[in-house]
Amino acid sequence: MPKTLHLPPADPILVARALTKRFPGVLALDHVDVEFQEREIHAILGQNGAGKTTLMNILFGLVQPDEGALFLRGQQVEFRSPHDALAHGIGMVHQTRRLVSAHTVLENIVLGHPRVRGFLNLQSVAPEVEELCNKYGFTVDLAARVWQLPEGERQWVEILKALYRGAQVLILDEPTSALTPPEVKTLLAGLQALVRDQGVTILLVTHKLPIVLAASHRVTVLRSGKVVARVRTGEATEEMLVRHMIGRDIVARTGKRSSEAGPPLLQVDHLSVVNDKGQPALQDVSFSLREGEILGVAGVTGNGQDELAQVLAGLRDAVSGTVRFKDRDVTRLSPLARWRMGMGYVPAERVEVASIAAFSLVENTALNYHFDPAFARRGLLDDAGLEQLTRNIISGYEVKTPTARTRAQHLSGGNLQKLILGRVLSRKPRLLIAHLPTQGLDVEAAAFVRAALLDAKADGAAILLISEDLDEILSLADWVAPIYEGRFGGVLPRAEADIETIGAMMAGLSAKEVRAQ
Amino acid sequence: MRLGRYDVTLEPRTTRPAFYSALTAVGAILLALALASVLFLSAQTPLLDAYRAIFSYAFFNPNGLLATIHRSIYLLLCTYAFLVPLRAGLWNIGLPGQVYAGGIAVFAIPFVFRTQESQTLSLPPVFLILLMVASAAAAGAVVGGFAGVLRARFQVNEILVTMMLNSILFWLVAYMIKEGGPFMSPRGEGESFALPPPLHAPLLWGVPFTAVLALGAAVFLDILFAKTPLGYRIRAFGQNPAAARYGGIIPLALSLFVFLLGGGFAGLAGYHYFAALPGVYKISGNYGYFGDLSFYGIISALIARGSSLGAVPIAVLFAGLSLGARFAQGQLRLPFGVDYALLGLLMMTFVASHVLYQFRVAWRRVPSPTLRPAPTQLPPG
Repeated sequence: MPKTLHLPPADPILVARALTKRFPGVLALDHVDVEFQEREIHAILGQNGAGKTTLMNILFGLVQPDEGALFLRGQQVEFRSPHDALAHGIGMVHQTRRLVSAHTVLENIVLGHPRVRGFLNLQSVAPEVEELCNKYGFTVDLAARVWQLPEGERQWVEILKALYRGAQVLILDEPTSALTPPEVKTLLAGLQALVRDQGVTILLVTHKLPIVLAASHRVTVLRSGKVVARVRTGEATEEMLVRHMIGRDIVARTGKRSSEAGPPLLQVDHLSVVNDKGQPALQDVSFSLREGEILGVAGVTGNGQDELAQVLAGLRDAVSGTVRFKDRDVTRLSPLARWRMGMGYVPAERVEVASIAAFSLVENTALNYHFDPAFARRGLLDDAGLEQLTRNIISGYEVKTPTARTRAQHLSGGNLQKLILGRVLSRKPRLLIAHLPTQGLDVEAAAFVRAALLDAKADGAAILLISEDLDEILSLADWVAPIYEGRFGGVLPRAEADIETIGAMMAGLSAKEVRAQ
Repeated sequence: MRLGRYDVTLEPRTTRPAFYSALTAVGAILLALALASVLFLSAQTPLLDAYRAIFSYAFFNPNGLLATIHRSIYLLLCTYAFLVPLRAGLWNIGLPGQVYAGGIAVFAIPFVFRTQESQTLSLPPVFLILLMVASAAAAGAVVGGFAGVLRARFQVNEILVTMMLNSILFWLVAYMIKEGGPFMSPRGEGESFALPPPLHAPLLWGVPFTAVLALGAAVFLDILFAKTPLGYRIRAFGQNPAAARYGGIIPLALSLFVFLLGGGFAGLAGYHYFAALPGVYKISGNYGYFGDLSFYGIISALIARGSSLGAVPIAVLFAGLSLGARFAQGQLRLPFGVDYALLGLLMMTFVASHVLYQFRVAWRRVPSPTLRPAPTQLPPG
């Protein structure tokens, strides 16, 4: 076989050969061949549904392939469970944290380790873990409780936990999804050090191109369950990777500033809200929004964005302050009354709040229409009308689904989000609250959602866009409000908002401090 | 699980055809009867005799069939009482209490109008009967609604509240009918006075008119849940309360409504058993037995998966088998509790059939490990 590989002389540590996995109705992986070299950061890139998750789950023993085989250092291996994979030195850090937040870092690291079965003697394991920390240059207080740590450090706890089990191959699933820009930088630098100094192999599963380009040595691109490209990162460009991922070019649209500003549609004054624990979540927030404008609220999740979206949607009571919409005080109005007045809300929690998994797509459409006289016929819901509307949303928003009667639980995250957005926008809301509208979406679906937001804006809707993705906010918004610990750092016009300023304000610096730096 | 060269797994079904649902139900019934044969064999009873006794009494003997119909109506009304809140994700365990409340309200009408003392009725009987039906439903609704309000307004667990109300109402009935209570029979035998004949529920072909209520409610509830905005809101709230709130549905009103409606059905069940059953027409001393029986409504609502129409055959089956097995027990000298055991087996096989309904058994050949690692190629460059 011709060898066109000119990488440093390293042996493949892990080889997947002709992996095929079928799920009912879907071919998730189609004869996938991948080879991971020792001491490399190997990115696996692909859209949602490309087969990244399935591949990763096979490598970690969560799923068994229908065909194909895995080879570890040349020996065929079969992982019947994550336990097998860990025993062979393969560890995984999931996208969502799997730590016990009330326990200490040390307790989390040793939790479930084969050696601490029976009686747990923390004193005896502590020195080992400390040594491990020193070896990897990890400086967190082992006695700290996990809930006290920032997100970036929690991730390191998970990585350390995998290393403590002797992982030589680390699978990281979307590791940057919850991190601030500075935390991402720290993470990537740390990963590179792990590979360079400790000989760890890292599989980076992501759909974020800048991360891939910044940190990886090689990239394997998956599309529809097949490997469509294997490239060295040094030779890759962003355009080329996008083309491989989606099979064609995408046209990015940027928002145009609304030149003639109308009267304020939404006026929020000194709004304060508490969270479920009764602690202040939003403090003295004021802003106004006109028709055809987008205000981007930029911040790391957990700084009051949930409460902001909920209080505006009527799902949470305000402690003080007022919300005026269409010149009317709506502070105490019910969600139903707000829907009727022309507010629309796309929550961040697609599955938990914005849809009903066991309901068909038609029934999910009814979630925003059950009160609408246009869809009532002699006291009954107009099922045919709702089905027609759902079909229009499916075709207009390119939702991939077998039928309009399919249950929502069978839709992928991106398709579900398009359906929800289509459903809310079909009401032609005058004010749209869009919370993390593109989170977890692949490049193509995210571009589609952003275009839909801009279309709504062009129709004169005011949009409150709450996002963690600074690029998204800067490309769409007319105004940018960084949020930190429940307060707006300011409301800046887009022209004055650059990524460094906003990034620093998201981390809690005031505009003055940023300018002083 | 691996069997030889095949891998056997349970996989979720993506499509669930309706006829398959009926097929699994029939399969569950047959399996329960097959398992019950162990009971009969252990009592040295010929199997055929036992099954014949059960089914011929429950569904072919004129007395038995009538008893089956009466019990079916009662179980059906109890089923709806549980089913309506269940569709909203709430558990109404207060069926006995609401049944008792219905019974008390029924006898309060003749008591208030003093029809049991002077045999002359001051008002037309039809009016009084309608009043008795309405007050039974209202009393059940009030008891149910009490739990609904506590749940919706103060987040008090509805299971605890309804359970405690059961006890309170059980003793309230005891107070009313025993030891000089207001409803005590003149003969003082620990039961209520008997309803005067004009107030007996009218019969249609020998069956009380409550049968029409029970069957009509099956259709009504099916339309309510499948077609109306209100039914949609109840289902949405039951499936995902957070999504329902997001969609503008008001939890307080909805929780209250389902408990009022559910309690109303249980109150009607009380009317049926205490005022519509030929030969009864009183609250007898063993009223607690009927309270316990109402719990079968929970089982049949769960087995019917919340479908009011689906609950009809299940309630009939439960009614028939419980009566038939009790009859067979006496006739064939079977050990005590055969009827309960049979119903228990039926519940278990129904629950098991749900698993098979949602999953299918998949067989797959295990690929032979003949592949060798081969270096994958990078594109040139």
